[in-house]
Amino acid sequence: MTEAAFRDAYRDHKDVVYRFARRMTGSPAAAEDIVQDSYLALWRNDAVYRPERGSLRSFLIGIARNLALQRMRGDRPYEELAEDVSIKDPINMVGLERAELVARAVMALPPLQREALILAEYEEMSLEDIGLATKAEVAAVKSRLHRARENLRRMLANLL
Amino acid sequence: MEPKDDIQLRKLLREWKVEDAPPSLDERVLGARTSWWSFLIKGSMRVPVPLALAFAVALVIMGVALIRPRTLPIAPATPSEQGAPAGVAAFQPVDSIQVRIIGGTHAR
Repeated sequence: MTEAAFRDAYRDHKDVVYRFARRMTGSPAAAEDIVQDSYLALWRNDAVYRPERGSLRSFLIGIARNLALQRMRGDRPYEELAEDVSIKDPINMVGLERAELVARAVMALPPLQREALILAEYEEMSLEDIGLATKAEVAAVKSRLHRARENLRRMLANLL
Repeated sequence: MEPKDDIQLRKLLREWKVEDAPPSLDERVLGARTSWWSFLIKGSMRVPVPLALAFAVALVIMGVALIRPRTLPIAPATPSEQGAPAGVAAFQPVDSIQVRIIGGTHAR
């Protein structure tokens, strides 16, 4: 990748990658680390981008997603994430702003549901692009989104 | 048609706003890359173990071959090495002959 192409890729997609990482991890510092590592991986060709396989945005979010999940797994880095079908309880709303409640509810979602919801609702990505970024079939993305919305409706029932 | 509760949920979700990437990230990302000449000094690269082993073995073999004294058998000299003409075409008549006796007790 040339210097100019790298700068373009950074300028065009840094915000979406940052926002995604920020919402996945809940931490600005972790999000910055993830953005930096994602772009360094792109620069060093640790992960090779092929345009025929999808957009650069999906590719970068895919790297950021892997890095975010690695952080969440902590000491179980090689364990596959399982589909979590559990139903979440309503969250305690005492003394919290609405935006903070929403953030807590999204952060409480299982990782696979959370990433699908963030990309669909906040970044307005298509199901196909979410599938490319998260290495999942469109049907699986749909299912995760459905469960995520169900969970959020339960958790935020008092605000709806 | 989108269900009403989906629209409400969407509106509610949008209340969680997240800022864009901070400007400080620019330096971290754009400045973190190393130039090619810096790579020559500080860079590292991953090499597959079989390749590294093969390279190490080749180095050892070359080193041993260079260090070991050569004891090649002396091959019998070929006619060309003895100064003899290689073929009949190389024979030329001499113009004059000057005889010199070198060494011996009668040398002058």
